[in-house]
Amino acid sequence: MAAQTPVTAPAISAIGQAPRSSGRSEGGLKGVLIGAGKAVMATVIVLLALFPLAWMLIAGFKSRSEVVETPFQFFPDVWRVENYQLILQDPEFIRSMSVTFAGAIMFTVLSLAVNSLGAYAFARLEFAFKNVLWVYVITTMFIPGMAILLTSFVVVTRLRMLDTLAVLVLPGAASAAHLFFMRQYYLNVPLAMEEAATLDGASKWEIYRHIFLPMSKPVFVVVGMTSFLAFWNSYVWPIMTITSRDLYQIQQYLATFRSERAAELGMLMAGSTLAALPVLILFLIFQRHIIGGIKIAGLK
Amino acid sequence: MRSTTFRALGMVAAASAVALTLAACGSGTPGQPADTGGGGEDVPEGATTVEFWQLSFQEVENDWYTAVVDAFNSSQEEVHVNLTQVPGDAWEQRMTAAQAAGNAPDMYTIAYNGVISAASTGQILSLSEHIGDDVWTDVQPEVLGSVSMGEDHYAFPMLVEPSAVLWYRTDLFEAAGIDAPPATWDELVEHAATLTSGDVFGFGGPQSAGDAGWSTWGLQWNVAGHLPISDDWSEAQCTDEYAPFLQAWQDMYAAGSLPQQALSGVADGNPLGQGQLAMNMGGSWFASVLLNDFPEMVENIAAAPMPSFHGDPTAPTATLGGWTWVVDAKSEVPAEAASFIEHALGGGDDEQLLEYFAATQYSKYSPRTTVNENLIEAASSSENPWAATIAEQIVPNSKPEASYPWDISLAFGTALEQAMQGTDVSAALADCNAEINRLIEANQLAGTAPQ
Amino acid sequence: MTQTVQAPPGAATVPPRVRRGRVKQPRVRTGVNARSNVMAYAMLAPIVLLLTIFVVWPVIYAIYLSFYNWSFYTPPIPVGWRNYVNVLGDRTFIQSVGRGLLFAVIVVPVQLIIGFLFASLVKSVSGKLATVLKVSIYIPTIISGVIASIVFVLIYNYQGGILNAFVGLFGIEKQAWLGNAETALGALTVPAIWLGLGIGTLIMLAGMVDIPPSYYEAADLDGATWFQKTFYITIPLMRNIFLYLLIAGFTAAVQQFELPLVMTDGGPLERTLLPNLYIFQHFRNDTYVGYSIAAAILLMIVLGSISAGIFRVLNSEKAVDG
Repeated sequence: MAAQTPVTAPAISAIGQAPRSSGRSEGGLKGVLIGAGKAVMATVIVLLALFPLAWMLIAGFKSRSEVVETPFQFFPDVWRVENYQLILQDPEFIRSMSVTFAGAIMFTVLSLAVNSLGAYAFARLEFAFKNVLWVYVITTMFIPGMAILLTSFVVVTRLRMLDTLAVLVLPGAASAAHLFFMRQYYLNVPLAMEEAATLDGASKWEIYRHIFLPMSKPVFVVVGMTSFLAFWNSYVWPIMTITSRDLYQIQQYLATFRSERAAELGMLMAGSTLAALPVLILFLIFQRHIIGGIKIAGLK
Repeated sequence: MRSTTFRALGMVAAASAVALTLAACGSGTPGQPADTGGGGEDVPEGATTVEFWQLSFQEVENDWYTAVVDAFNSSQEEVHVNLTQVPGDAWEQRMTAAQAAGNAPDMYTIAYNGVISAASTGQILSLSEHIGDDVWTDVQPEVLGSVSMGEDHYAFPMLVEPSAVLWYRTDLFEAAGIDAPPATWDELVEHAATLTSGDVFGFGGPQSAGDAGWSTWGLQWNVAGHLPISDDWSEAQCTDEYAPFLQAWQDMYAAGSLPQQALSGVADGNPLGQGQLAMNMGGSWFASVLLNDFPEMVENIAAAPMPSFHGDPTAPTATLGGWTWVVDAKSEVPAEAASFIEHALGGGDDEQLLEYFAATQYSKYSPRTTVNENLIEAASSSENPWAATIAEQIVPNSKPEASYPWDISLAFGTALEQAMQGTDVSAALADCNAEINRLIEANQLAGTAPQ
Repeated sequence: MTQTVQAPPGAATVPPRVRRGRVKQPRVRTGVNARSNVMAYAMLAPIVLLLTIFVVWPVIYAIYLSFYNWSFYTPPIPVGWRNYVNVLGDRTFIQSVGRGLLFAVIVVPVQLIIGFLFASLVKSVSGKLATVLKVSIYIPTIISGVIASIVFVLIYNYQGGILNAFVGLFGIEKQAWLGNAETALGALTVPAIWLGLGIGTLIMLAGMVDIPPSYYEAADLDGATWFQKTFYITIPLMRNIFLYLLIAGFTAAVQQFELPLVMTDGGPLERTLLPNLYIFQHFRNDTYVGYSIAAAILLMIVLGSISAGIFRVLNSEKAVDG
């Protein structure tokens, strides 16, 4: 009875096409011109969006002086794989990638667990002081990070968490925004299935575990990917709290590389490309759900 | 359904357990990265450990630190020094983290201009009671003054290095028909324009407020005869006397003799070594960079004092920057830390100390009179072709670094950057004056100057 | 925390809209009894605990510390409103807030306009191509601020940067894009727009697709042009989405600080010193932390008003749509 997702994440193509205005199709010369105009615009925007990344990838194949050479040259004279090989042989790079990846997984799992439990409780349970707790939780959504960055630092210091993986994983895991998003989703689950389960004697926990969790996939993909990205891309919090090189996060590694080995531009570009790769791959795997998730959240 | 309630609670408990495990993994000792030297493996039984953080610059310097710590550790059984070498861009983060955690190292390196601030805010200890008067008397009085409040000396000076030397390319000068380094600022500006061509800029110097803040103290003395704040820190003195200095930067930037975007930080000698600059205002430490990394350029580069604004060749053009060693206020082993400082810098092993100056190609000088005499003698026969010029023509006229809070220095640096970018010189100076007066008021600085 | 800097994509995907069906709580076993309380509290304990330790406590602590002079070496000394007075008297702070607003005024409208045009385009093309376009425009959103900074610094490089090579083709002299006080802030807006464009575009696209096709069919029968349809149908019906993107984008842009931190460190002449970078620099360099905390709280008051605005606007939205 479980996994009947009430709000299916629509496939990408569905978003794009759904309400195609039928009726008159534009034909003739005018249609061709409009079609050509669209094609040009589409090409320009896609090129602009992807250009910096393409350039980064290609610059990774250049020698150190070629990256910012006068006169400028887009492609290298000789394609050098060395930059990619060298950075992959740097144990610190590999370690940063692994540590960040492991941390991001822990962070994502913790974030999904904590926020979905809370979301379920607010969406489906009645309990004393529900409104008070709701306001308490939601208020935290409106506190900008910088206002608490400094005292959070003091707090994690007092908790003896500095320079551990915990300081990266725990503080950001609970998120009122994610809870809100998941709660909206759970509110939309029809009562029927739950009622049937309740009549069978299932507890609220079992209902969460056996009905809600299995149907949470679309919303978990969106929240999970967001959490993973936030962890993978974070820079300021790690540079404040992580000091030992063993735990350097990948963005921290790149920034340090840039200041310590300023001349190795080709390697820096190669490292940046490789550091963007894991999230790029994850995004391409889940893009259908993520882009679909925007529809669930925003509009229905 | 009691059991399921317990299962839910159990899940919460499990989550907390995960949290605790997470907190326990990692290095677990905040602010104490893996040690990079000092032979941490064999600490003698019962020895007191002293944590020592050193800001790392060049490899040759790091090697010396490791050697001096090893030598000290093996020379006795009571004190074991544990050395950590911290890269420049990580220093502030690490130190703030360690201090907040109550876990700062027992001793660390600090620049002269930070000593008084650190001492007056209770971050470092007076070394006077641990290191005897006989040791301090060998330190040159003006240098000692810059690390002292009243009778207390808060830091042991390790080295001094002039912050501003005019490095110039003799081959480019010759090609342009210029036969001597500029003696006046008019000449410097004129030469800079002449020498600018293609990928070579006529003059490199500080271009951002932060760089100008510390590297131009000497020129500030030179042009105005004082720093932009009164001696007792009660009143700003960022007057029109500084105008010729700001004007020179404005003119050179407008003419394109200064790069439109600084090639690197002012402390970085690489652009000169790479041949991108015809003249470069840079510290004496450029010598070490050039000799080590750009040996083929050495014969084409000469050093001279920066020109003087009012024609007096003995007016200061540089300050003596450099590094000192201090003991943290929360250290539980100040006496042991001080004993190591005395051994390494205070006469315990001057042969080893001289090796530091040799390793850095005599690009730095000792604040201790006896050591400096030996150093200058050794430098004359060294491969550093600029050592004599710097020692004889620049060091004697230099001033100690400013000891007021950094914001004040930054206010002047901002004025220089503003003028460079085209703001009217008088307006930039008026802004600077108002900003310094505001800082005095906001931080209650009046009367807090040392001595 | 890990999400301090930019509004995380997740936050943007969540225009908080309280569904009308909120009353539809399961009522099969009604009544608030002790057992369901325990269950609910057990489920809420982790999130409430974590938020309390890592958000609520730091906020209270920040307010407390902003009235004290405290370094890590001395006991806190109460100074009343002095930290606030000093911050408000600091021209650099006031200017940085103004600069943050200016930065947002450049970034957000450009994002909205490009996003709108692109969303219109995607809507009108076929499925496969639409997918390619959507994925392409979204990819920059997943790139980190650090990587974007590294890449754009090199694009803007004075010597041998690709932008100078490009403008050189038109006979324009090379520029120090990040070194010149006149161009530096403008140069920073480009990566900011680039990073934030994808999510806004897709939210708009989703909104556009939601407009019933019958409206357009009726307009087509009257012979309406694309511009007429856009201005009389699409834009009015997407009012709430525009408002949301406008305000959310605005608060995110004002708070941007990874880009200036890595690309320029606030220079030249503080022209890229956005408010959060100003606060961060003070925290890093000051001996006493009260000043930077007071500045952060003052900024929070400004941004908090804007954020509360978002929530109110979106909560009233249900009254609007049909």
